Amino acid sequence: MIRHKIVTGSELILILIIVLYCIIVAVVNPAFWGFETLFDIIRSSSTAIIVALGLLVVMLSGGIDVSFMSIALFGSYTAAYMMITYKIDSLPFAFVVATLIGIILGMINALLVNWLKLPAFIITLGTQNFFHGVMTTFISDKTYGAGVIPESLSRFGSSTIFKVNTEMGVMGLTTSAIPVFLLICLTWFILYRTSIGRGVVALGNSEESAIRSGFDPLKIRLFAYGYIGALAGIMGVIYIAQVNAVYPNKLVGDELMIIAGAVIGGTKITGGSGKILGVVLGILIIYLLNNTLIFLGLSSSWNKLFIGTLLVISVAVTSFQARVKNRKNLIFTE
Amino acid sequence: MKEKIMTLIQRERNLYILISVTILTAILFAFIFGNSMYSARNLQSMAYQIPEFGFIALAMMLSFMIGGIDLSVVANANTAGIFAALILTGVWLPGLNESNAIIAAVLVAMGASILFGFFNGWMVAKLSAPPLIATLGTMILYSGIGMALTGGKGVTGLPSSFTSFGTAELWGVPLIFVIFVLVAVILSVILNRMTFGRKIYLYGGNRIAARFSAINNERMAIAIFVVIGILAGIAGLIIISRVNSAKVGYGDAYLLQSLLVCVIGGIHPDGGRGRAAGVVCAVILMQMLSSAFTILQFSPYARKLIWGFMLIFVMGLNYLSERRAQKIRVDLLRKRTPQAD
Amino acid sequence: MTEMLLRTEHISKAFIGVQALDDVSVDIKKQSIHCLCGENGSGKSTFVKTISGIYEPDQGKIILNGKEYGRLTPPQAINEGIQVIYQDLSLFPHMTVAENIAINRLRQSGKKIINWKEIYRIAQEQIDRIGVSMDLNATILETSMANRQLTAICRALSMDAKLLFMDEPTSALTRQEVQRLLKIVHELKEQGLSVVFISHKLDEVFEVADEITIFRDGKKIGDFKSDELTERKLAYYMTGREVTYPRYKRSLADDSPLLEVRGLEKKGNYKDISFTVRKGDILGIIGLLGSGRTELALSLFGLNPPDAGEILFEGKPVKINSPSAAKQTGIALLPEDRGSQGLFRERCIRENVSAAMLGEISSKAGFLDREKEASLAEEGVQKLRVRTPSTETVVGSLSGGNQQKCVVAKWISTDPKLFIMDSPTVGIDIGSKAEIYELIQSFAAKGMAIILITDEMEELLANANRVLVFSEGRIAAELDEEDLDKENIGQAISALISGADPEKGEQGDQT
Repeated sequence: MIRHKIVTGSELILILIIVLYCIIVAVVNPAFWGFETLFDIIRSSSTAIIVALGLLVVMLSGGIDVSFMSIALFGSYTAAYMMITYKIDSLPFAFVVATLIGIILGMINALLVNWLKLPAFIITLGTQNFFHGVMTTFISDKTYGAGVIPESLSRFGSSTIFKVNTEMGVMGLTTSAIPVFLLICLTWFILYRTSIGRGVVALGNSEESAIRSGFDPLKIRLFAYGYIGALAGIMGVIYIAQVNAVYPNKLVGDELMIIAGAVIGGTKITGGSGKILGVVLGILIIYLLNNTLIFLGLSSSWNKLFIGTLLVISVAVTSFQARVKNRKNLIFTE
Repeated sequence: MKEKIMTLIQRERNLYILISVTILTAILFAFIFGNSMYSARNLQSMAYQIPEFGFIALAMMLSFMIGGIDLSVVANANTAGIFAALILTGVWLPGLNESNAIIAAVLVAMGASILFGFFNGWMVAKLSAPPLIATLGTMILYSGIGMALTGGKGVTGLPSSFTSFGTAELWGVPLIFVIFVLVAVILSVILNRMTFGRKIYLYGGNRIAARFSAINNERMAIAIFVVIGILAGIAGLIIISRVNSAKVGYGDAYLLQSLLVCVIGGIHPDGGRGRAAGVVCAVILMQMLSSAFTILQFSPYARKLIWGFMLIFVMGLNYLSERRAQKIRVDLLRKRTPQAD
Repeated sequence: MTEMLLRTEHISKAFIGVQALDDVSVDIKKQSIHCLCGENGSGKSTFVKTISGIYEPDQGKIILNGKEYGRLTPPQAINEGIQVIYQDLSLFPHMTVAENIAINRLRQSGKKIINWKEIYRIAQEQIDRIGVSMDLNATILETSMANRQLTAICRALSMDAKLLFMDEPTSALTRQEVQRLLKIVHELKEQGLSVVFISHKLDEVFEVADEITIFRDGKKIGDFKSDELTERKLAYYMTGREVTYPRYKRSLADDSPLLEVRGLEKKGNYKDISFTVRKGDILGIIGLLGSGRTELALSLFGLNPPDAGEILFEGKPVKINSPSAAKQTGIALLPEDRGSQGLFRERCIRENVSAAMLGEISSKAGFLDREKEASLAEEGVQKLRVRTPSTETVVGSLSGGNQQKCVVAKWISTDPKLFIMDSPTVGIDIGSKAEIYELIQSFAAKGMAIILITDEMEELLANANRVLVFSEGRIAAELDEEDLDKENIGQAISALISGADPEKGEQGDQT
């Protein structure tokens, strides 16, 4: 019978770390333990999870993308700008425009990565700056505050589902959790149940073998980078809704944290291997560390230190394991 | 004989093109900007700005040469600078008098950056960690250390005897610029003339073959990352001496720019190729462009656009020229008698 | 003719400077086992790539299942039932066996949605067809080499293969696995397929092949039945000359052991390895891949430290923990894979030849002595007779033979006492091969000890004055000069390699 392992050893370790961490923090500061914290974490990590799903797809294909934040910004900013300037107050409009822009920009990345045959990291670092520059130079570089934001966006950003009564008042789970959940399902479906999804994994395993099996690397890359572009666009709109403002220079710069989350989640940088659950857990750990160290009495200045240490340990452990295996089989990679 | 010259030019072709482009740009700018670019003041200003970035670029060049990208270089420089600043402002080791504090600051900063570099090298050498994500982790870690120490605030008020280094001059030329050129020359000598340099090219070109040629790969990786660390440490000291403070996040833009400089400088990201002269040339070219942008009052956004575009454009050019070089090689082969294989 | 599955008529294909195929006409019958033999560069791989549609022939016709083609596209070839299993197997390491088997078929069917039950069904179907059992849920990384090969075969079968090409299928298999593979190939033939082996060595394949086609220099030399060929005839046709490499005879007086290995053991690689090597010996080591020979070589070179046992060099016990320790001791290794382990392709000959002697040609301050390097390189090029206009030539542009000579030159510069050579002439033209043999023998005659690891019987018998036969991690036999002089020693050794007892006559009668 076909067995797909949903939870492997590495995911279990991540779950263990999360559980232990929560226990420790809860013991030190009981205020941590409550719906407020839970909803807070879900809310702040929702955008990161969405775009990390896209990153997973790209990394599975053997590539990487550091331009996704600037794509998110471009797509959502343009959508918001159009909505403000032309007085269009429709949430679907925002999503559609941002997603379309995201797909187009993502496909530009795909073309460059496929054509230039140079490290995708460098190429997308170039496009990251280029896209951001284009947006701010040719569209606008103004900030739009809460007063000017279209109603539909603000409403979406503050709306909640599933309310709970706590001593702090009424707490709600952000509506953004819905697109997150839907996108997790969609990504799962694409990766495990569609031909293009398996093509992505095949390409990451071995480009040459994928070609021999009849896959077209260009098509697969167009899909993978286009997908992260689309997700970035969606994520950008949700972000604007959540912060209730439109900035021309936020988001860009946070990419590396998301990549860190994906790596902690077990996604191989060389491609072909990575799990959705792992990525979600990896992002959750990052956001836990980013948002809840305060309960331990540590100011936010400590966040990076913890995350950096965790990432270094994660990389060290997985690399060493691979090295031991290789050495045993007398495979020399360096 | 002609073939020999042809191959020689081929090999250094990119460097010569780069030098020509730099000279042409310099001349072009002389016409367009005239005095605003080439006034003594502006030239000096450029000469002050080049070194801190130049050291980062040289560090990145070394990491390119061994086929990796060291993302932690700027964080390394920054955090080492923070350590130095904390000592110089008396937050650490308060009992020291000023000159001792300077010595201690320099020693601690360099020691820290060497340690940071060593740790990177150790991960790559002993754990076989891929350099990109190993340095992604250490980048966050090192800047995390800086963040934890300063809370994001700048450490200001460095003693003037220290900051005077940043503004010192040698016959009108900034001291730091002289140091930069000196170090670049030293690196060039190491790469071209010394055994260690040759080993860098071999290791970068084919690590497996290096191992099988009795080269100690572990030692190489660690040594190279330590050198990267040293360069980063020097950059860090220069930075704090120039801006008279140390702050987390300063110089983050240098990461992209150093990659750009390496690509323009002809350093191939796969490793095993490139000349220090190329990087120096590219740094100067970039600085001229930067100054031009300032004169033209380009917004930081417009600059991003241009840097990003240039990176991709130059990579595209490299790709096309390599395709052409391949064709030339194949054509040359056609002229020889086919060798049975 | 309804009997003919594939017929090619006058196929020619040229690349820049090389006529890869020259007027080749080959027939492959239905339900047969065929073998394409030839040295590297003889045209057999080009032929297969032309049949499978990757290359377009300059001239000629391809007639498949009665249909005529001037050129084939890959999809057409697949439609006609042509499947090729390349030497690297083209599998996806992180994906499961089942998916690897089914993926091509699903890709071809154009279905957008994956049905895992379907994948499992397809995979199971193929496995049953050849009568093996494998863990379909294991990833390829977790699967043995032999099972990986079976996975590749199943994948080809799932594509409704009528004509299956297998490129060097037995090079990485143990004796038992080879037997199993051949049985399966027989099975496939019974089921109506034609299987074509591409090989340059024939030991196992001889017994199953109905027809053998020999290629040389792009031309078809002839078609033969397996009983028409002996090893000597085969070698003659493949190389075009009477293979009379001069036999090596040791003539040194000093019989003291240079290298002595006692009870060496490495878990999973080899066990109970004991032998000695004297100055001037060329100790041949032959055995299947995985039999422990390369693993032993790596141990002697410091890249695979043994778990137990002793190594004595010049009478003193040594611990070889790294290649540089090996070099200090006086041991050199010519690695198995010259492309990835031996050469620095973008660097010139001079830099390649000096690569192992960098410490020795630098001044105390660490500066490279350019003159010493240049003379080292010149010497190396001369000694090894590398064909090149200058030592500045980039190594990547040299022929295989000259490239290998550069790697040998690199180690000769270190003046080794013991030179281990692992498969030194793979992928090298005949001319260079003969030269390399001459050089090896001249080194030995001057007192160097050589361990020669090889797959090729001719190479072994010509060069070695003593032989160790490895089988499944142990020394199956040790042969001295007297043994090697015996008639039909080649057959005996082949039998030992594949594990059969020569006296019981398990191998077929071959003259």
